[in-house]
Amino acid sequence: MTPVQFSFTTAFILGLMGLTFHRTHLLSALLCLEGMMLALFVALSLWTLQTEVTNFSAAPMLLLAFSACEASVGLALLVATNRTHGPNQLQALNILQC
Amino acid sequence: MSPLVLVVLLSSLGLGTAMTFASSHWLLAWMGLEINTLAILPLMAQQNHPRAMEATTKYFLIQATAAAMILFASTTNAWASGQWDITYPSHPVTATITMAALAMKIGLAPTHFWLPEVLQGVSLTTGLILSTWQKLAPFALILQVANYTPPYMLTALALCSTLVGGWGGLNQTQLRKILAYSSIAHLGWMILVAQMAPQLTLIALITYIVMTTAAFLTLNNMDATKTATLASSWTKSPTLTAMACLVLLSLGGLPPLTGFLPKWLILQEVTNQGFIPTATVMALSALLSLYFYLRLTYAMSLTLFPHTFNSVTPWRMTAKRPTLLLSTTIIMTTCLLPLTPSALTLLI
Repeated sequence: MTPVQFSFTTAFILGLMGLTFHRTHLLSALLCLEGMMLALFVALSLWTLQTEVTNFSAAPMLLLAFSACEASVGLALLVATNRTHGPNQLQALNILQC
Repeated sequence: MSPLVLVVLLSSLGLGTAMTFASSHWLLAWMGLEINTLAILPLMAQQNHPRAMEATTKYFLIQATAAAMILFASTTNAWASGQWDITYPSHPVTATITMAALAMKIGLAPTHFWLPEVLQGVSLTTGLILSTWQKLAPFALILQVANYTPPYMLTALALCSTLVGGWGGLNQTQLRKILAYSSIAHLGWMILVAQMAPQLTLIALITYIVMTTAAFLTLNNMDATKTATLASSWTKSPTLTAMACLVLLSLGGLPPLTGFLPKWLILQEVTNQGFIPTATVMALSALLSLYFYLRLTYAMSLTLFPHTFNSVTPWRMTAKRPTLLLSTTIIMTTCLLPLTPSALTLLI
């Protein structure tokens, strides 16, 4: 495993761990998702640079566009849950369990 | 929701699934999955209600994480092998990560906890889309990845799903939660043969979609989301009540109905391959699911809840809802078993 590969893998896994185990605020979950997507962005861009596949050079931008869409949807949902559930604690999202 | 927005959203749903179907490149498959998720979210959140918002948030978090994991696995694979093809044999570790993410996307058992809660929060129509159309794109990927995943993982997912689907539904009175657990159990049956006989997975998926559509449309026609509502459904439409019992038993997999077809073929295949204990556990866990379908049937046909009925003859009024799809799927749900030889000839 090259150092580059190690670094983006670690970044992704740290983001995933944060999303999985740090369940206090919705905002921190969204930030962890963004961190995961940025690790993927780094991975894709460095793959393009390393292998010099010019066909693939648009892919990191596509990924970034989609992750921006995801982030905006996440923030919209943050506002919506804030209006329906009060403060944005993830523990407050519990009315569907029974 | 304005018709224009609805058209855009529904066609994006179709576009996402079609992209995933048509792509041979992991990035495009991932984009299809993302478009699918982003297009269903406004449909889920269209009623501004706490339950709908909560369901949408949970669905978004799960699907975004799973999609990111799929892309992470394929990127790692590309770093190792330089290939982005979906059909290219991938490393067992990345194939395992991909399969875990896909299982999370469709709601297979160790990662199923979101499915009942999300279905409980949305309307029956959106629930229908969630539990049928949204399964297609991940299944297209599962069928292509299944060859490279460790077989034990698929068997473990399948056994876990059928058992959890059976146990979880036992204590529920909410119909959407029962349908969610039934969906988990059916997905377990499908994933069991994804490696041994992908054609059988396809047959099981098709019959599952037909049966679930019939069940959701029936409940939608009755306006029923609780078991107690089912008990008064005979006043609205006696014929539909009788057929709804058959639809539920077909979901449970009783012999003269369509639901028996996939279970029969899958059990036969698993037994032929020599996995007798697996086949036994699967067959026994189908009994757990059958129990709660039978309980619904019982509530619908044999009990009279102590309700006050304002009138017992609403069935005389003409129904205004379109029932073409409902009647078609009900007929397919109840009468397709004789077509087993044709299905085998066409797909195997």
